[in-house]
Amino acid sequence: MDQNQTMKQKQTLAEIEGYFRKVARATGLYWGLAEEAGKAARWLAAFNLPGPELMLSHLQKIEGKDYEQYKPVIGSDASSELWQANGQTLCPIITGAAIADRAKLLLDGHTISLGSAAYPILLAATIGQATRCHNIIITTSWANVKLSCYGNGIRIEGDHNDLWLDEIEAVSCQQSFDTLPEQLPSTLAYEIDSDVWQLVDELAFLTYAPATEASRAGAGAGLSDND
Amino acid sequence: MNCADQNPMPESVNFRRPPEVVMRLARMGSFHQTRLSFMRTLLRRLKKEQWTFDRPVWEIDSEGFGRAVYSVIGPVRTYSLVAFSHYLPDDMRSDRVIATAWDATFTLFDGVPTTDDLDRLQQNVPKQEAGRISDTEISLSRANRSVRLWNHVIDKLSIGEQPDCEQLESVGYLVRTTAVYGSGKFGAADRLTICDRPELRGPFQAELLSVWLTRAFAIDLVEDIAHSVGGDKAVVIDPDLRKRIGVGNSTGLGMAPFLFNHPTLINNWMMAREEAIARVRVVNEASATEVAEFVISFERAKFNFSNWNTAHEIQLNKLALLGDDLEKMSVYISSENLNHDHPWDRFYRWAEQELSLEGQEQLVSLMLEPYGELVDDLTDCMDADEHLSFFIDGSVTVAETLSIINSQCQWALSIDFDQPESQARFWYTSAEKLEPRVGERFDEPGEEYESPYAIGFYIFQLNQALLSWADTCSEKKPIADFLLAQPEHRYTLRRVQNLKNHPYAEVQDNVIASDMLPINLLRCKLSFFGATKFDPRSDRWVRICMYQDSPYPHELLAPKISGSAS
Repeated sequence: MDQNQTMKQKQTLAEIEGYFRKVARATGLYWGLAEEAGKAARWLAAFNLPGPELMLSHLQKIEGKDYEQYKPVIGSDASSELWQANGQTLCPIITGAAIADRAKLLLDGHTISLGSAAYPILLAATIGQATRCHNIIITTSWANVKLSCYGNGIRIEGDHNDLWLDEIEAVSCQQSFDTLPEQLPSTLAYEIDSDVWQLVDELAFLTYAPATEASRAGAGAGLSDND
Repeated sequence: MNCADQNPMPESVNFRRPPEVVMRLARMGSFHQTRLSFMRTLLRRLKKEQWTFDRPVWEIDSEGFGRAVYSVIGPVRTYSLVAFSHYLPDDMRSDRVIATAWDATFTLFDGVPTTDDLDRLQQNVPKQEAGRISDTEISLSRANRSVRLWNHVIDKLSIGEQPDCEQLESVGYLVRTTAVYGSGKFGAADRLTICDRPELRGPFQAELLSVWLTRAFAIDLVEDIAHSVGGDKAVVIDPDLRKRIGVGNSTGLGMAPFLFNHPTLINNWMMAREEAIARVRVVNEASATEVAEFVISFERAKFNFSNWNTAHEIQLNKLALLGDDLEKMSVYISSENLNHDHPWDRFYRWAEQELSLEGQEQLVSLMLEPYGELVDDLTDCMDADEHLSFFIDGSVTVAETLSIINSQCQWALSIDFDQPESQARFWYTSAEKLEPRVGERFDEPGEEYESPYAIGFYIFQLNQALLSWADTCSEKKPIADFLLAQPEHRYTLRRVQNLKNHPYAEVQDNVIASDMLPINLLRCKLSFFGATKFDPRSDRWVRICMYQDSPYPHELLAPKISGSAS
């Protein structure tokens, strides 16, 4: 094998969701938002898009940072105001969840406009989780690309290179109509660099309590099993 | 499937026990298997659809070590248990998840494995968590021999005798599974890969198929070893004794979080079970055949009770109560009219007044037995599309959310969380073996690693926060605004909203209380599997028996016809 070749391994979608939920928690998001991160990473991996890798990068960047810096500041009219973060770029998980919570605005025909945001593809995936529930198509647009999420599929239009941007000045999000998904999700395991997964594993591990005498003794029967 | 819209008996809603009665740990910890239990659902389907059976590989040496394959062939697909039998020193035989070697290891293969597949699996399956399986495997499991019974059965069969019935009954199984993993764990196929297949759509059907085939493997293995030892003198086990052998299982806290992590699925299990009970209570007239079938089931339950062994004080006390309850039920059955005037509803109402929770739950299980045609369709409603209940409707107002909590979560609001005993425990995952644990909050380190299972406490906190928010902001504000400001409540709010359509989703007890018994959670889940003979080994560790008295594959299914599809 080529010495420079990166080792790859396969992780199931269930593992990706479960691990990223923990990684998000370990890096500072509350459990409810960590659940959104796990779903978004899984969703992108199901389309063989590098959601897990980008999610890891994002979560590492916001690790331990103040939530207030990354959440959208929304005034009294969420449908017409520009959503912006107080200090930094918008966190795609926090913002995506906030948009999904307000999906009725999209259903009513409003476009939600965002200012500077990190990893727009993660934002699109987080919002996209709402599509199945509401049986709608949600299109997130940034730079020269549009990602539409369907109940069970996606469609990408424009410059695919822009999908991987780690930051963008403007994003918009709206309901779409009358198109069909161009790609359906796979249920098979996702191939990922072993060193990336090693990092995921290490971060997820931070949610586990170090062993104590009580934890060693506290689960079994305390009786012999050789019977 | 939307089961609510298809209910053929809408009047049953008036007979359904409410969540505040059902979702209590003491009652959940008294559940018994029913005809809706997943093992029974599986075997009913295999029989109805006339699946066939084959054992295409048997590469086992004279000492009982090697590999074997058991296949069940359905109308569309074949599934194969791949079994590896290993030498295991006695001092390594542990049921704990910290074990690293086992007497036998298994995977359920999607199809019929080739020799290459078997060679690949042989490199991984024996390692269990330390190995890796793939999208073509659906489950991963292991089992240890029951030392008490294994050698006895081989010794007897090898000299042409049958094992001692009493000894066999006292254990009930030759092997004990210590973990059965599925749903994408350790590389196995994701749940979405199989959930559209009718035969695997129901909960844990793949895992329980693997356990059923494991039972057959254990019998074949002892008979094969006995033959190697005794040669022509050896005999096979008597079919009546064989039937009494199930598969043991040893389960600890690892199983408990499932009930917290899958609220919608748990709701659907509970709703189906409660709807089944309610439908039977609606029955106005019971036929002589139905009553006779109930009585047969009751006698079987008494027999099961007489063979239910435990050494643990908690279960000993419960069994004493169940013994009394069965006596009272005998008197009721012989003295009351079971044919007319809503006989099952009357019986149940009597039981509520006269029997312990063990007895009440035993009765409701037995009541379902004569009514397969009335209730078995509910097994189609016991899976869940959990994704659909993930969404938060942020347009609901703070006032409306407070109203939901007030109407559906009184159990949480009524707990005095200022008392130390109400917060005495915390759930966490141990870094050493990645297994759930319950710690003592005020005596042990690690609280900062707490797993989010204390739903009652969180609902209590959410309620407080919403009241405060309503005071300072407005109760007419959408809940989305509250969540953006206080994201720590998002996890709980999601669950509270889920209660609207899933009223049985949450355990309505304080799972961090000082007197909480984790075995109640384990028994609830295991009863849905179809387990019997719950034998707690501590307050957080339980042994059970599965498939005792069930048919074996070669009894239930015809042999595969040579040349048929595989």
